[in-house]
Amino acid sequence: MSERSARLEQEAANLKVSTSAKRDGVFQTVGALAMAAGVVVALVAYPLSLGKDDPRDIQSLIILAVSMLALAVAGAAVFLRYSLARFLRFWLLRQLYEGQAHIDRLVGALDKPGTADGDASSDAFSPRDRSSQ
Amino acid sequence: MMAGNGAAPAASPLLELVGIRAAYGGIEVLHGVDLAVPPGAVVALLGANGAGKSTTVKVASGLLAPTAGQVHVAGHDVTGASCHDLARIGVCTIPEGRGVFPNLTVRENLWMATQVSGRLDRIEEGVYARFPLLGERRTLLAGSLSGGEQQMLALSRALVTDPAVLVLDELSMGLAPIVVQQLYEIVAQVAREGISILVVEQFARAVLGIADRAAIMVNGVVAHAGTPAELQSELSSAYLGERT
Repeated sequence: MSERSARLEQEAANLKVSTSAKRDGVFQTVGALAMAAGVVVALVAYPLSLGKDDPRDIQSLIILAVSMLALAVAGAAVFLRYSLARFLRFWLLRQLYEGQAHIDRLVGALDKPGTADGDASSDAFSPRDRSSQ
Repeated sequence: MMAGNGAAPAASPLLELVGIRAAYGGIEVLHGVDLAVPPGAVVALLGANGAGKSTTVKVASGLLAPTAGQVHVAGHDVTGASCHDLARIGVCTIPEGRGVFPNLTVRENLWMATQVSGRLDRIEEGVYARFPLLGERRTLLAGSLSGGEQQMLALSRALVTDPAVLVLDELSMGLAPIVVQQLYEIVAQVAREGISILVVEQFARAVLGIADRAAIMVNGVVAHAGTPAELQSELSSAYLGERT
């Protein structure tokens, strides 16, 4: 085995496989579930508290409702954070793709007759050769 | 064209796909692909359009996570590793469509490799020695180069990262036969330097001249595998849609 192959084996052995994409999906799901569960339990607990006579029961249910509202807010934050990360990744890829497509169109236009090297307008500003700028 | 360096196929593979299944959404396109790239060998992955070759490359390079099966690098399971992790350890991919930055000059494209390969002047020295044509065009935008020159640039940028395994997807796409022949001579030379190469190619004749091993994909599986000589008879049937 060559020196490079041996190094590859060493590096492959040390490689920690990242599971961040899977983790993002898990967090997104957990966030959505927490948000939904928090809202539902809070909406159930608060009306229940209105039908209780014992102040301790009322307090317990109100505390549960407020806690669940807090859980819903935290879940929404987690859901938003991981949804945005995924959305921004796609947005960045799309920007890169559109930027490259735009450049391809420009380069294609430069290759058309009339914009070739002999043309005065293209001589004035030739983006093909940066050494002349 | 000259043949590769004739590495022994029995050696432990540097890159190996075992029972790979992959899907786009709910549609499975690879149905259990097994493929091995031994050290220092050139392996050609052939097949008609839509056979699953590029998807196999995406899995091998970490761009697409398989739904089942394993990817091994030098005997270690790296299934699910990202493409940048695999590139960092030495599994370098040149994607279909060349993958150069068209809006950057040749020099600036090479500059991109300095993050992993050191100083630009040293990189340029090595690249222009191997590809003198790129030296003459160092100030031109990569997008204004011919297809063959862009492919040389993509190849040179990959080589300066000191890869152990090079994965080439459709090197000949959109290129004239004479240019394809020149590129494959360069690939054969790279293989002789000890870099293992997986070449995915639709035009079989172009690559079989330099390959040590070859595999033919049909409908998402490797239908035939062997030496180029062994596969000559299988090629026409695979490309014309017959399963032998």
